[in-house]
Amino acid sequence: MPGAVTIEDQLRAILRDVLGVDAARADAIDDDTPLFGAMPELDSMAVAGLLTEIEDRLHILIDDDEVDGDMLGSFGRLAAFVRAKSGA
Amino acid sequence: MSPGAPRVHLYGAGEAMLAFGPQTGPQLLVLQPLFEEMNRARALIVAICRALGERGIGCWLPDLPGTGESLTALDTTSWQDWCDAVPLAVAAIGGGFTGSVGFRGGVLLDHAVPGRRWRFAPTAGRSLLSDLRRSALASGSDPATPAGYHLAPGLTGPLSTADVGADDNARTIRLVSDDRPADRHIEGVPVWRRPEPEQNLALARLLSDDIAIWAMA
Repeated sequence: MPGAVTIEDQLRAILRDVLGVDAARADAIDDDTPLFGAMPELDSMAVAGLLTEIEDRLHILIDDDEVDGDMLGSFGRLAAFVRAKSGA
Repeated sequence: MSPGAPRVHLYGAGEAMLAFGPQTGPQLLVLQPLFEEMNRARALIVAICRALGERGIGCWLPDLPGTGESLTALDTTSWQDWCDAVPLAVAAIGGGFTGSVGFRGGVLLDHAVPGRRWRFAPTAGRSLLSDLRRSALASGSDPATPAGYHLAPGLTGPLSTADVGADDNARTIRLVSDDRPADRHIEGVPVWRRPEPEQNLALARLLSDDIAIWAMA
């Protein structure tokens, strides 16, 4: 579908809104961009807001035991997790 | 006292209620977000209340039992205590009461308000509790006292199932990034997610304009 908003677009917007990452930095994020442990704004407290915002905007529910360093290790892995959850 | 300075009133069993603006004209009960979101959204909400005061609309912000200046401990406060506080605050506002303005989790309490309801970015109690629990897990603190909040089972239990239903008497505003049903979607960032409290005058202006038109209608 042309012009459709992808999961990646939505995740970039969430990172921008929740972490205060500016638009240029958010646009430069790709699958290989490391997240938790590499992005200074994404500290352990910000992870909570990030996950809740993902749930609200993408209409999924995330269990506590699904959250780990691997799922948050890179933008690509987070997108793959969300895609699997949303059945998209 | 400067015209923009808030007043402090009391309601119920001595709970504090901050008030902005004139005591004539429409009078609004402002139900703030719950827990940490209240601190993060405080600057936005105060900017909205000052703007409404300048337009001749009074705003009243009650401290819920166990929060703010309350003499009651949060760990003995139940969800029912919060629900019961709302009509007591309305009673203290008096005859000019027009309706409620709820933000985020504050909307979960507006069912106890007689009259019209304006709602911004309402959220479910389950989502608020998930956020608190995850913050505790991520920071290595005890999930029973997330972010230092000692919450009674009588509060978390009912809150976990509290949600906002459709309401013909309510006007709902959401951010464009939130595609759930609303009467209007506006541009802006979710300031309640930002760890550093942040002022957002553009968002405050959009919201105070919308509230003013709704309150005067």
